[in-house]
Amino acid sequence: MPPPGGTPPPHPPPDGGWGWVVVGAAFISIGFSYAFPKAVTVFFKEIQLLFNTTYSEIAWISSTMLAVMYAGGLGLAFNLQPALTIIGKYFYKKRPVANGLAMAGSPVFLSTLAPFNQYLFNTYGWKGSFMILGGLLLNCCVAGSLMRPVEPKASTESKNKVGVRETDCSMKKRQKKLSVWEEINKYLDFSLFKHRGFLIYLSGNVIMFLGFFAPVIFLAPYAKDKGIDEYSAAFLLSVMAFVDMFARPTVGLIANSKLIRPRIQYFFSFAVMFTGICHLLCALAEDYTSLVVYAVFFGLGFGSVSSVLFETLMDLVGAQRFSSAVGLVTVVECCPVLLGPPLAGKLVDETGQYKYMYLACGAIVVLASVWLLIGNAANYRLLAREKKKSIHTKESQETEPLKTSQSPSVNIKSGKNEEWKGAEVNSSERETNI
Amino acid sequence: MGTWQAPDKSLFLGSEDSRSQLSISAPFKSLPVQEEMMTKYSNLSLESHNISVTAAPFTSLPVQEEMMTKSSNLSLESHSISMTAMPIKENNKGNQICVDRGIMLQRNVTLEHSNMPVEKNITLERPSNVELICQFTPSGDLNSVNVTWKKGDKLLEGNYLVNATGGILYTQHRVAVINSKQMGSYSCFFGEKKQQRGTFNLKVPEINGQNKPLITYLGDSVVLTCKCQDCLPLNWTWYGGNGSVQVPIGVPVNDKYVISGKHANETRLKITQLSEDDQGTYLCHAIFELGESEGHVKLVVLSYLVPLKVFCAIAAEVVLLVAAILLFEMYTQKKKKPSDDGKEFEQGEQLKLDDSNGIENSGPRHRKNP
Repeated sequence: MPPPGGTPPPHPPPDGGWGWVVVGAAFISIGFSYAFPKAVTVFFKEIQLLFNTTYSEIAWISSTMLAVMYAGGLGLAFNLQPALTIIGKYFYKKRPVANGLAMAGSPVFLSTLAPFNQYLFNTYGWKGSFMILGGLLLNCCVAGSLMRPVEPKASTESKNKVGVRETDCSMKKRQKKLSVWEEINKYLDFSLFKHRGFLIYLSGNVIMFLGFFAPVIFLAPYAKDKGIDEYSAAFLLSVMAFVDMFARPTVGLIANSKLIRPRIQYFFSFAVMFTGICHLLCALAEDYTSLVVYAVFFGLGFGSVSSVLFETLMDLVGAQRFSSAVGLVTVVECCPVLLGPPLAGKLVDETGQYKYMYLACGAIVVLASVWLLIGNAANYRLLAREKKKSIHTKESQETEPLKTSQSPSVNIKSGKNEEWKGAEVNSSERETNI
Repeated sequence: MGTWQAPDKSLFLGSEDSRSQLSISAPFKSLPVQEEMMTKYSNLSLESHNISVTAAPFTSLPVQEEMMTKSSNLSLESHSISMTAMPIKENNKGNQICVDRGIMLQRNVTLEHSNMPVEKNITLERPSNVELICQFTPSGDLNSVNVTWKKGDKLLEGNYLVNATGGILYTQHRVAVINSKQMGSYSCFFGEKKQQRGTFNLKVPEINGQNKPLITYLGDSVVLTCKCQDCLPLNWTWYGGNGSVQVPIGVPVNDKYVISGKHANETRLKITQLSEDDQGTYLCHAIFELGESEGHVKLVVLSYLVPLKVFCAIAAEVVLLVAAILLFEMYTQKKKKPSDDGKEFEQGEQLKLDDSNGIENSGPRHRKNP
């Protein structure tokens, strides 16, 4: 298996200090990445209205808009990836808290951008608003400049020693020519698809995202269908965003605790189950008060899932392979995210009621949570078994003289990748590198 | 189709078709006028649920008759208001009887509160006969109540009916609305108290312009729209209001202003090559047979400099911050380097630990990658 990206051995994560500044920078990046597209779609509706009145049926207008969205999306994707990855580089002990805080950027930015956009539109029209929003997006550069690489602690002297060793290795490497496949693998680690934990995570998430976003999108129409006026319906979404804002860092803190951290995969499964049950119960909601209660609980669920979403992935694959992992995950996940809401919409059209859509989404999400629960339980057990094996073989290795040099059976697969010196962490490492 | 019946049941008027001829005998001296009206206008259909023709005599209506002879095919609309003198303890929900046969409308509204002037807005688009009915439940004697009708402040004489049955006083006033002179506020008064009255406001339909100002930039094009919900104006005109002077637009037909409209109930004004002079409030006039109505659209024309300034301010802030951060980074790195020499020993110690850790950690890692 080719080395992941040929990166040098990672340095111990500081778990603080400049790390918190990086969390702030990630907060800004994630906020822009998630909130910006959602806030801008409101503009697009108004612009379409404008263009319908000025130019009737010119198709290139809509395709230009789509192209802009894709270009913008691409840029924002470039924005999101490093933000997530660098948290893994800077934090280990407090990584869940850092993740939770950074992910809180999304609801905060969304709730501030929405009224701000309205103000901009009313003052500057759509052309001026886009200009100003583009300027605001430049602040991501500020965020990016704050994301310094983790500093190596080795001094010049040690570098010399390490350098010698490295030149040996690199000479050996240069002799071996990398094939095309291996080149690709350097950047996008497809070997992750053999990683048990990764596969469980991916499959569970794909199922979950099918039914995850549709309820949010249809919340306002559902409320209006029940006879609630526009403003109260919009208020429901604000309630959700508000609860989400506070839920994310709080859940990050909870996930960091000694009790939860070793079993963070279970925690994730329970958060997903909670959200699924919320959707199921929403089908029972009849009046406005119950919808507000649903919005509160859904905000909680949504926040807790988002908070630990990337944390669990980091936990599974390790900081080394995280950037490839998150890339692969987002690429695969875009299918259910794209398909989910239209399918849900079709369900609403067929049955004529929103209730069944909520029931269906709730069922899908609960199914995903059950799958994740079972899968991760099995994964934990297997990991524990492998760990025991590795300790056993290690002990036997120390006592016996090494007879067999190749020792293929020495599959020390239970990766103690992240057992940094002095890090007395109760969390057992899940990073299996099968 | 409804029927008329006199209280003494001396006659029974049925209007099965629109051409019924009525012959009415005494005691209704004033009825011949009505008869004339009805014979001349064969396309009228009259429906009413609670009219009883008694009491107040009709005075002659020469003027109105003339007006009615000039127009035919008038539709008849009926609206009513009812009030009670005493507060009702039980909750009487308003019973809305909408009998709409394309020509006739009668709305009957029962109220909860008394001593409150009641108003009703009626939207009229085309000339029609309007029937205004007021119901009143007095606390005392019915007959002592004096019923009057006023248009605005002017007292109307005659051509209204008053009836008292079952403790409720009814009064009906019919207006033939032909042009804008007949539009306005009609009030029925019961007794001397100003509170006991009902007002019908006859208005032309309202036009919706745009509530929020339209923001545009120099050299752009813009489309101003005015819409009317359920009405069909005869004609639309646009005025550009610069201050108090309203200048009609589109009169000298040029490229700059193009007036169009997909449907009759909306109008669009497209303005190209916007300049600062085009700023202001534009009025769209809808002309009906019964009057005019207008909507407002406010246009704001900005120059590109306005948002550009904001953009530059933000960009400058970004550049400053990034520069500051990079300088700070360089400064802290420089700070570390000179202190390197002093810390060599410690680092040497650390180095050994690092190395050993490196071996420990790289071991399983290498094995991880088969």
